[in-house]
Amino acid sequence: MAIQGKEGKILILATETCAYPGADSVGQAHSSYPTNTYILRVRSPVMFPEQFYLDCFAKGISGIIIMSCGEECPYEGAYHALAKRVDRVYQLMKAQELDIRRLRLTAICTVCNRAFLKEVNQMNEVVGELGPP
Amino acid sequence: MTDKKTDKETIPAKGKVGVYICYCGGNISDHVEVEKVRESMEKIPGVEVARTDMFMCSDPGQEMIMQDLKSGTVDRVVVASCAPSLHETTFRSAISRAGANPYIYEHANIREQVSWVHHGDQATDKAIRLVAAATAKAEGLKPLEPIRMEARQHVTVIGGGIAGLRTAKDLADCGVAVALIEKSPFLGGQIAQLERLAPTGDPAADIVTELAGEVLGDPGITVHTCSLVETFNGYVGNFTLGVKKRPPDTDCEKLSSLNPSGRTPGEFIPFKGFYPESVAARAEELSIETGVVVLATGFKSYTPRRGEYGYAEFPEVITLPELIRIMAENKTTDNCLEINGRQVRSMAMIHCVGSRQIPGIHPEDESGNFNEYCSRTCCSATLDTAGTIRQSYPGTRIFELYRDIRTYGRGQEELYEQAAKNKVVFLRFEADESPEVIRSNDHDDFPLRVKVKDVLTFGEEVEVPVDLVVLATGMEPNNVSELVDMMKLPVGPDRFLLEVHPKLRPVELPVGGILLAGTCQAPMDVGEACSAAAAAAVKAAVLLGRGYVELDPFVAEVDLEKCRGTGACVEACLNEGALNLVEMEVDGEMVQRAQVTSALCWGCGACVAVCSENAIDINGWTLKQYEAMVDIIVADEATA
Repeated sequence: MAIQGKEGKILILATETCAYPGADSVGQAHSSYPTNTYILRVRSPVMFPEQFYLDCFAKGISGIIIMSCGEECPYEGAYHALAKRVDRVYQLMKAQELDIRRLRLTAICTVCNRAFLKEVNQMNEVVGELGPP
Repeated sequence: MTDKKTDKETIPAKGKVGVYICYCGGNISDHVEVEKVRESMEKIPGVEVARTDMFMCSDPGQEMIMQDLKSGTVDRVVVASCAPSLHETTFRSAISRAGANPYIYEHANIREQVSWVHHGDQATDKAIRLVAAATAKAEGLKPLEPIRMEARQHVTVIGGGIAGLRTAKDLADCGVAVALIEKSPFLGGQIAQLERLAPTGDPAADIVTELAGEVLGDPGITVHTCSLVETFNGYVGNFTLGVKKRPPDTDCEKLSSLNPSGRTPGEFIPFKGFYPESVAARAEELSIETGVVVLATGFKSYTPRRGEYGYAEFPEVITLPELIRIMAENKTTDNCLEINGRQVRSMAMIHCVGSRQIPGIHPEDESGNFNEYCSRTCCSATLDTAGTIRQSYPGTRIFELYRDIRTYGRGQEELYEQAAKNKVVFLRFEADESPEVIRSNDHDDFPLRVKVKDVLTFGEEVEVPVDLVVLATGMEPNNVSELVDMMKLPVGPDRFLLEVHPKLRPVELPVGGILLAGTCQAPMDVGEACSAAAAAAVKAAVLLGRGYVELDPFVAEVDLEKCRGTGACVEACLNEGALNLVEMEVDGEMVQRAQVTSALCWGCGACVAVCSENAIDINGWTLKQYEAMVDIIVADEATA
């Protein structure tokens, strides 16, 4: 198979109640976006420890977009805990001299097609500019 | 335990994975080389078989998976097809029918997230990587048992129109207790705003009176008028609704008009509705514990913009619902119809007003929306009204200006034939050449003229002098944005509520235990709305029929071999009581260990992130599984 290899890969952690159906909605609209995006369905991104993100970058992931439910989060308090964790990940990234633009926390709703495409395109620009981690 | 499907020991940690890749009849295979994906999957260690099918969701497709499970060829299943919201339950159910545990299943979404958004070799490459990642996750799956919760034998129906009434009555007949919540003081909804129902001509008042009477007379149904749902919590089988009942502010006029005629609660008031109970004098709040919620929030009639075909600019331009009401309230035996004191010698009825709007041709509303759909009922309603007028008032000539005639239902085509026989004149226009309604000259005998380029006479410009213009307005969904936000309901681009699938899961929403009835979902006529309502009633009864509901067992589980009892997870837990430290004996020593109360655990994973030992995980969604998926995504070869 053709390997996208060194082309920067973007990991998208998409919540099953909001962002993942949001990505499906982009599909239903047949709106194209780059193929270097890998969407993983998650119940809530609050489950990932700081090390998970650092490991992803160490393994070669160029950018991570956490597409959460934001204030619509079905688990009360989870979004707040997630935001605090992402702040700590940013500190650790700085310590490792990783550009913090490689990790982005955002909220995508089930019909936020434009927002989804904007986030994907913006991260692609960042990854294109920075190269592999 | 001897039952194979519940015995975790019978399934090895590393499984025999079967991968099943769907063509989706070209939806996937037009952009992804499905056989190439299959070949790649066959190379993955741990993948026992990889198969393809034109429609994996079809009976033969499901049968193929079931055969592999029954023969012991595979013990874990990956299906690569459309979005999991559509078919995850289909395939889990097939696995159950094959006698295996439904949670040994993983879904790869290669339609909405690959073939519909990517093209060429890259689409195939990405599909391979996503299916390989799903396979890696599948290896870490283990059999799980769903969590059983008692279901409340109670349904709440929101909306007291024909669909809500029908649902409530059908459910009560099944022996299920029902709360019917209606925001206005009246029952009957939009039907109550009509005189007779096409095509049969049944009086709307009779239908509403009969059904509302049955509902109010049923001891199993509690009707709450002037009530709004303000809060919503819980899950299928166990919802709690906060309802506020308040004196009406908008319907005061309607209500005060009841007194002079000495009307009392329990009567049908024409063009208002069935008035079931005296309205509350003070606001009160109530809490309803319920098992299923049925949304029957209905539609509203499209209000033309000012100036749309002269509406609100010329008093002689009215909507079809306005005409129906005026005619019902001013019945005469004259030769000519009389509207607002004026003899109608000639009238034009314009179809598709507020329906089938085309961006670029029709203006959008103030929120930027177009009603691109057909409202499906206005053609029949217009033809029925035209036929009635021609029969009762032969001195009134009628011109119908239409784009297409869509009298699609049983007995409705006859309405068109009758109107034609009754000498209604039809003129057809193109969407981009809509008729124009203009004021006549002072010396003209008719107040308005309608100009149209008639397609039926090959583009002849026709100018019709008229006393009245009637706009056949379409349907728009009622604004239920508060319910949408509260209950996280999917809304289609047409702003109607969106069922999961019209054939596979009709009247269902992705949120378990919430169902749709009637025109909140799409334009429907009365018969269709009642059918949808009856379907929702049956689905609600089925959900509650077993007495319990089964929830996905995606909750936290502690690995006691790794747990050190630090309590970090208990501190991070977001739902008090779901996680506790308990005393237990390990190797002859009393120690503290974390313990999960499954019924309270949300399965969010806040505990997972803070455990330094990775001793707690969410069943079905473990950290190790995510790490395995990332490994596949970054690997040089997805299938190496």
